[in-house]
Amino acid sequence: MDFWNYLEYAAWVLIVLFGGHMLIDLARVDSTYDNDLLTSSREGEIERTQELHKL
Amino acid sequence: MTVTSVPSGAPIPGTAGQGQRLQLLRVLGPGHVWALGVGIVLVGEYMGWNFSVGKGGMIAGLVACWLAGLLYTCVAMIDSEVTSTVAAAGGQYAQAKHIVGPLMAFNVGLFLVMAYTMLEAANAITIGFLLDTVAGLQGHEGLNQQPFIILTVMFLAWLNYRGVLATLTFNLVITAIAFLAIIILFVAVQLGASAVPLEFSAVTTDPLPYGWLGIIAALHFGLWYYLGIEGTCQAAEEVRSPARSLPYGTMAGIMTLLIAATLTWYVCSGLIPWEYLGQAGTPLFDAARVTGSTPLMVLLFVGTIFSTLASANGCINDASRAWFSMGRDRYLPIWFGAVHPKYRTPYRSIVFLVPIALIFALGAPLDQVVTFSILSGLLGYTFMTFNMVMFRRKWPLGTIKRGYVHPFHPLPAILLLAICSATYFAVLLGYGSQLISMMCFYILASLWFHFWRYRFVRRGDQFTMPWPRPIGY
Amino acid sequence: MAYQPPRQGLAAQIIDVAVLLVMTVGALYLPLYLGLAGAAKNPQPIDNPTWEALGQNAAEQAQWQALGITDPAAANDIITARFDYSFSWAALIIMAVLVIGYFVLVVRLSDKEYREVIDERFGGQ
Repeated sequence: MDFWNYLEYAAWVLIVLFGGHMLIDLARVDSTYDNDLLTSSREGEIERTQELHKL
Repeated sequence: MTVTSVPSGAPIPGTAGQGQRLQLLRVLGPGHVWALGVGIVLVGEYMGWNFSVGKGGMIAGLVACWLAGLLYTCVAMIDSEVTSTVAAAGGQYAQAKHIVGPLMAFNVGLFLVMAYTMLEAANAITIGFLLDTVAGLQGHEGLNQQPFIILTVMFLAWLNYRGVLATLTFNLVITAIAFLAIIILFVAVQLGASAVPLEFSAVTTDPLPYGWLGIIAALHFGLWYYLGIEGTCQAAEEVRSPARSLPYGTMAGIMTLLIAATLTWYVCSGLIPWEYLGQAGTPLFDAARVTGSTPLMVLLFVGTIFSTLASANGCINDASRAWFSMGRDRYLPIWFGAVHPKYRTPYRSIVFLVPIALIFALGAPLDQVVTFSILSGLLGYTFMTFNMVMFRRKWPLGTIKRGYVHPFHPLPAILLLAICSATYFAVLLGYGSQLISMMCFYILASLWFHFWRYRFVRRGDQFTMPWPRPIGY
Repeated sequence: MAYQPPRQGLAAQIIDVAVLLVMTVGALYLPLYLGLAGAAKNPQPIDNPTWEALGQNAAEQAQWQALGITDPAAANDIITARFDYSFSWAALIIMAVLVIGYFVLVVRLSDKEYREVIDERFGGQ
């Protein structure tokens, strides 16, 4: 066991932490919020609130 | 021509009274756009471009560098005009949807996701390879690369999941450091920091080992110097004033890259015999090794790690935006079109693309992954040529507000098409079967979309820009 | 009347993604399985390699040494490896037909769909 072996184990631990956080958060958000709200984003909508294209 | 500002929060025509909406956050400035574009691409200077020297010799490498630079200047000009007008997440995808049509948009979306996910995989592979090399130099043989490859992808996905501003600020810092590392190496070598002198005699004694064909063949990997700069427009929905920031960020990015690419060629070709350079895994790091200076070696090691991280980071950002946009339009299952209520990121797309990137990073050889990425990019550039012509035809100058108008139309489009054709030929030299297999894939996917998937798409909703009816329709 | 798309169930959504994934991975691995992957460089090593015989001058020799390669025999394969750029015209024609045919197909089908979009967005003529 040397430095690089510890680094490998540390990497595995971090993978579980980052991946776990994302998955848990995804599950939590999906069960807390309504799917229609989550998918309510519309392309270009914000454009119309900021700039109106006129000639 | 007037642009009326309406306070955000004012009722939007046709959508008022439908309750709360989730949008991506509009927080980025031109610096972030530069960091996104250059960040993705700068890794091309740290690895990959040198295969063009292997495919055609030193001169061919330089010619390919400049020809590809010309190609990308056209790409940046064309892209800036269209993007400054069609500012929506998904970049070229949204352009194709408004200008060519749904099936083209689906294909462009796939080009983007493939090109970026493959590039991300290539970056993760490089980090594993570099750590293995350094571990080997320190006497630890046979490092298990897998945890580091997975960690790279996982950490950056997590960063992207948490929010775009932190992600791209991180990118801005590490990209700037990686760029400075190239400049410092160049200056240090000019000031005589290298134990071994610069040596260019191969340019005269053996200028074109493969003849003129070598120059065309080199173009294949010449693209690698700049591949992905067009990714700047993926962030359009998160940029504060896209019509200004996107053209500035993109143009500044291409200039940065032209400088970095030429310096890289000069230092590497001068310090490394071309036969070695043509197959090196990490050319700039190798150049630093030749100088014999430990500070330069450390600097270029850091630069290589940072540039690969920045690139993979930008790739996750761009691929997930493209995937998200396709989900939002139901080109893909609507499930992917979700925005995180707190972080305001396309979180489901980000999570979904993690295992996909890992399949390629852990399961496929590097040159396959790189070629797949280059080919998807190349198909995207080919699309830009006729996209530009159709854009000017359907909405001539003066009919809609353009943030930027590029000069000499249609010359850049024609030039771009010519260089694209040459590059297809370059890919055929050696990678013909990949090219054919990929074309079959896109044809199959297109038929699948047209005859099956398109039934789930709302027709009129796809056109979201406040433009007049296109001419001829 | 605007076109109303059918609602897609969860299972069907998953199947659609799976189909797309199978096609992607298939396209990547097919050339590998068929043994057609990649351009190989073929080393043509020379006998009794010396730096001079390999065409490396003094400065280049110093560079090889800095890279950790002190023995010309070790560099023999790297220096003499060359790509084979012979290609068949048939392959070139197949490629050209595929690329051009693909773009023509996509643009024509897109145009058909695009007219529907424009009609629905701006109202029929």
